[in-house]
Amino acid sequence: MADWQQLIQSIVIGLIFSYLLAKLISIVTSFKEENLTLTRSHTQDDQLLPESESGRETDGESVRPPAVGSGDLGGSHDVDSVIAEHGSVRNESVAGSDEFDDEDEDSDDDDWEGVESTELDEMFSAATAFVAAAAADRLSTKKVSNDVQLQLYGLYKIATEGPCSAPQPSAIKMTARAKWQAWQKLGAMPPEEAMQTYIDIVSALYPTWLAGASMKSRGGDTGGPSNDSRGPMGPVFSTFVYEEESANDFKMDAIHGFAREGEVDNLLKSIESGVPVNLKDSEGRTPLHWAVDRGHLNMSELLVSKNADINAQDNEGQTPLHYATMCEREAIAEYLVKQNADINVKDNDGNSPYDLCESNWPWMQHSKE
Amino acid sequence: MGDSNSPPESPKENPDHVSDSNQIAKDDGELENIVRKFQDTMSVSKRHKFWETQPVGQFKDKEDTSLPEGPIEPPTPLSEVKQEPYNLPSQYEWTTCDMDSEETCNEVYALLKNNYVEDDENMFRFNYSKEFLRWALRPPGFYRSWHIGVRAKASKKLVAFITGVPARIRVRDVVVKMAEINFLCVHKKLRSKRLAPVMIKEVTRRVHLENIWQAAYTAGVVLPTPITTCQYWHRSLNPKKLIDVGFSRLGARMTMSRTVKLYKLPDSPATPGFRKMELRDVPAVTRLLRNYLGQFVVAPDFDEDDVEHWLLPTEGVVDSFLVESPETHDITDFCSFYTLPSSILGNQTYSTLKAAYSYYNVATKTPLLQLMNDALIVAKQKDFDVFNALDVMENDSFLKELKFGPGDGQLHYYLYNYRVRQELKPSELGLVLL
Repeated sequence: MADWQQLIQSIVIGLIFSYLLAKLISIVTSFKEENLTLTRSHTQDDQLLPESESGRETDGESVRPPAVGSGDLGGSHDVDSVIAEHGSVRNESVAGSDEFDDEDEDSDDDDWEGVESTELDEMFSAATAFVAAAAADRLSTKKVSNDVQLQLYGLYKIATEGPCSAPQPSAIKMTARAKWQAWQKLGAMPPEEAMQTYIDIVSALYPTWLAGASMKSRGGDTGGPSNDSRGPMGPVFSTFVYEEESANDFKMDAIHGFAREGEVDNLLKSIESGVPVNLKDSEGRTPLHWAVDRGHLNMSELLVSKNADINAQDNEGQTPLHYATMCEREAIAEYLVKQNADINVKDNDGNSPYDLCESNWPWMQHSKE
Repeated sequence: MGDSNSPPESPKENPDHVSDSNQIAKDDGELENIVRKFQDTMSVSKRHKFWETQPVGQFKDKEDTSLPEGPIEPPTPLSEVKQEPYNLPSQYEWTTCDMDSEETCNEVYALLKNNYVEDDENMFRFNYSKEFLRWALRPPGFYRSWHIGVRAKASKKLVAFITGVPARIRVRDVVVKMAEINFLCVHKKLRSKRLAPVMIKEVTRRVHLENIWQAAYTAGVVLPTPITTCQYWHRSLNPKKLIDVGFSRLGARMTMSRTVKLYKLPDSPATPGFRKMELRDVPAVTRLLRNYLGQFVVAPDFDEDDVEHWLLPTEGVVDSFLVESPETHDITDFCSFYTLPSSILGNQTYSTLKAAYSYYNVATKTPLLQLMNDALIVAKQKDFDVFNALDVMENDSFLKELKFGPGDGQLHYYLYNYRVRQELKPSELGLVLL
């Protein structure tokens, strides 16, 4: 009887033991498989981290870029730069300003559903920039615990790259491992949620950070759009530098300025107050010259109606009609010709308005004959 | 933060000198400090964080003349180059843009037309023509895999673009195979999606896969570290239009008629034997150009295939003229310019600004000044509004005299993974990137 009992006992124990052994083996095998898949994708995943450029990540401890405190080493500073590196991969506006209302010929709004930058994107982007800036300031980051910094890191990675698929760094690389864990433990959190959480944490740490950010964007809108329109790479669109002419002995009166700017009321007042309508500036130009030069037809008509000399010559012998043909002011030239402006009067170079006319204006031809 | 641009910490904000009772005030000060630094960082150092991870000349090494000229990093074995593309945010996917395909070419054209480089005031935007893009992206030996696009997965819409083309570029007496990187463009609606760095890394990876380890590129901003900084100059050909559209301004004391007169050009070129370049001229032009470019520190190493591609006239893309001696029929001089129109944003009368850009010019018999004046004349004949030139090569010698005015744009030239001992003068540069 006792023998039986003993036998059953040992059989049961044996069964349990072999079950446990089998279980253990299966765990070990599956673990190995997991590890193998990770190892296979190692070369690829190693480069998922923006800063681990091929062959550049030589020691796991120092986090690229050397941006923040590459000089002073030490655990906490590594985490500082964990955050600082966020800033390094930001895509600053590339070539051109952010006009959202642009006339896209292919602007089909449905196409942009879930693709275009949302307010959340903008906000997140600003928050990462702020954190990068804050991390650059050693003093301020001291009060942010490593845990929080790592949490921000993990959220950043989720938001920008999605769930962690990188292999676990070796235990010796402590910082790298901590970062990896921070990322990995967030699992398949949606990027939007990660962005929002990130923003919430930053807002809790620095309640007024957004004030700084909006201050910046306001400053950017008014002060220097130049940085926006000049992308990180590529050609530059350059326009003329405006050079104020140096002061010489050139003199003109107020009435010339009114004619130039098309200020009809001011010009009328000048004439009423007794300023001669054919007053010349130091270059011999009358108000009519200036009005024609700048293309003000109504001003030209007004001056002619006030008995302006339609054939007045400046110091170079040019009449308003010379100006109109040089500047290809067709309507004004036609008006002047119809008011019997002389098309054959020669300037000091011997050119008449007719000579200077490059366009095929029929009324110019007719009156020539 | 880059060493050269990290704002110096002002001593009064050093907390060591602040007593505990001032803790709150200190925190406020700190916050202000952070906000200020944040703004500084936004404006100056942010972009360098990317470039400081790259094998490019760093600002801190600028004064260090002991560093050797040449590659900064040795090539890695091709087997160690990452084989798969970099990860994009999940809504996007990589695409290779086949510029031979009319449809793809149209997409690239439209992306650039609506989203590429603008001037400071957002009045103009480059409008590279489709013919130009095909020309610029398919030189001899080009790699289709270097014409990289990003599409939105759902709509398949092209939202970003970057390209490289192969070039042999000589630095002093070493000819280096390089990629010329250009046309980096991200759709305006995606500007905060941080795509540019990954695009730069992806094009770098694909360049590496072809066993090429150096690149040349330009930028309007200062990055680590320019090999030279050039200035744009502009010569009005159609001053009235330039003034009307806001490209240039008319001073209060200046008249339009005098301005028009100032920029008037003769109807036809002055140099006897000045004519359009033809296919039969390729060997002579190649000799002329190779000989001439030899004097510059950094210049392309053109062979006949390159000259045929880059300099043989292509309607609406590149114009080249030369001087054939009426007596000996030798080709003695050469000038060229490329066509790069821009959209004029928000002008009722005009929609396009037609600009010619000085390309490569060689004068051996004709004075350079006269040769370039003839170039201006033919550009005017072809109805260009403005003729632009950088102060590279010997351009400085004719700019002022031919009535070019300085522009507000500076163009910085860069080499990737190649250190040049010291910064060059623009006149030492013999390279024009499109």
